[in-house]
Amino acid sequence: MNQKPRRLYIFTGKGGVGKTTLSKAFVRHLQSQNYQALYLTFKNQALSEVHEEKNSDIEINGIREVLLDLEESAKGYIERRLNSKMIAGWIVKTPFFRALVNMIPGFNYLIYLGKVLEMGKENPELIIVLDAPASGHALTMVESTSNFQHIFESGVIFEDTHKMLARLNDPTYTKIHVISLPSQMSWQEAIELKTGLKERSPVEVDITVNNCLFPLVEQNLSDLPNGLKEKSLNEKQLIEDHKSEMQCILPHSLNSDSLNIEMDLVGSLSKLI
Amino acid sequence: MTIFTKSFEIFCGTGGVGKTTLATSRALALAAQEHRVLLITIDPARRLKDLLGLSNDSIGEVTAVDMNGIKLHALLMSPEKTIQRMSKKYQTPDLASNRIVKILSKPYGGMNEILSLVEVQMQFETSQYDVIVLDTPPGAHFLDFLEGISKIRSFFDQSFVEMFSYLGTKTAHASKRMLGIRIINKVISGGVKKLLSYLQKVTDAKFIDDFIEAVQIIYQSKEAFLKGLNLQDRLKSNSECNWFLVTSVEQGKAAEAVEMKSHATHFIHQDHFLVLNKCLEQEMMNWFPEASNLMALKNSLETREKELKKNLKSQFPVVLEFPEIMSKDPIEHVNNLTKKWASYAK
Repeated sequence: MNQKPRRLYIFTGKGGVGKTTLSKAFVRHLQSQNYQALYLTFKNQALSEVHEEKNSDIEINGIREVLLDLEESAKGYIERRLNSKMIAGWIVKTPFFRALVNMIPGFNYLIYLGKVLEMGKENPELIIVLDAPASGHALTMVESTSNFQHIFESGVIFEDTHKMLARLNDPTYTKIHVISLPSQMSWQEAIELKTGLKERSPVEVDITVNNCLFPLVEQNLSDLPNGLKEKSLNEKQLIEDHKSEMQCILPHSLNSDSLNIEMDLVGSLSKLI
Repeated sequence: MTIFTKSFEIFCGTGGVGKTTLATSRALALAAQEHRVLLITIDPARRLKDLLGLSNDSIGEVTAVDMNGIKLHALLMSPEKTIQRMSKKYQTPDLASNRIVKILSKPYGGMNEILSLVEVQMQFETSQYDVIVLDTPPGAHFLDFLEGISKIRSFFDQSFVEMFSYLGTKTAHASKRMLGIRIINKVISGGVKKLLSYLQKVTDAKFIDDFIEAVQIIYQSKEAFLKGLNLQDRLKSNSECNWFLVTSVEQGKAAEAVEMKSHATHFIHQDHFLVLNKCLEQEMMNWFPEASNLMALKNSLETREKELKKNLKSQFPVVLEFPEIMSKDPIEHVNNLTKKWASYAK
């Protein structure tokens, strides 16, 4: 391992492209290289009236998984800023605050990302692998921080947002992986997402193509049923046309449960660092 | 299996499952039966544009589409255009005139969901369509979209009423810029006042000013927003709305579909459809490979699909299966799916 890893890896892309499996496999990969890494995702998009949830931080199948809860993350931030647990607890419960968070787009991401970066600050050895929301949301997420910089023109929140943005946009700190399937449509969307992200942030954005049939059946194309053959040929064409833009090409796993699929991938992820 | 046509047909799914293609093919199948159809997509990837041959100029505008003689209307959501239509229809101030609201209604600012509800409501009120087919944003977006309804409600909830009614009576003749801090000091609601004072501690006076103005300007548009609430009742009724929850074999995400359903129980009625796209079953049934790697592949694909179906059928009242269609031509692809929809039609 000659390249020093970043501190925050964001995995994004359309739902169902294998983000969760890949980000967990990547945590395993980092661990295998003796790095301290954890898998992190956001539990909820809005402040809910019904659920009383907490951030959870547990070890599952050998990796540390953190699920952040919006309310608790918000409470933590306000507590740090106003130096009062009581006031923070009261504020997050007010209908006014809840409406504000739920109504103002991207406020939730600001809260979450604040918490993520705080965690990174607390432990300088830690590498966070963030399983980010599906495409459109990833843009909202990246954009929200800069939006808030324009909304708050001065004051503590402005300064905090500014710091967050600087870190998030620091290419030595953050790297974004867009995950795509090997189909024309999925690829186009990945390219759109990459372009959108590049317009908003100077950090490195790479595309990984997941679940490719072609490498498995390359030798037996003529024995495939028509649909699968067509699919494999489309993949071949896509890979040939865009190989230079594909950071990593991962084959379809013959396993059918997610843990084994994850294990299958671990060895192939060194390029993602 | 017969699917009855409703005034609203909503497609939800985790993205990458072919949701847009399915919604489009559904809209075409309905249009082919002489229904007057409007297809709305809020998918930011705007795939529909390519599929229907729409140009960049048509974003945000209802556009007549003619696909092989089947006529329908299509609308690609644009927050900006919806805001314009809103202020025209309801004679309200332009939301985008406020600094904060303007930033928040950028295409990825995230106001898409709420505005799309308003848009659907406005389009419904034109009475020009028998069916509005709605292709919602993927995954978590979908939940946001539904949450949008409760967001509207909570935004205009009790704690705001005091402030709003104060603003409403006192500011009718005052210039907006004159408001700001003075208002805060006068607002009686202890909670709101206290909260704004904390907010001021961490932001600045200008923000509070703009914020008050934003609240006020949104309040003036409340009629449009609150109409979204009427829509919620319609969407909840199984005589007015068909819900299609879409997932695909390729994704193998039964758990996510089930989770989607459990999140959505407040919003959707029990007569919903689970649409399982990209099924390989037919093709696998007639394939007898000899090479061991291909046998392993067939086995892995079949096992995944079988497990998925078993799981889904135990959780959903109706599972509609659509085959994987391998075609480079999106039009041909959609046409194939349209035929499948037609077979469910009544």
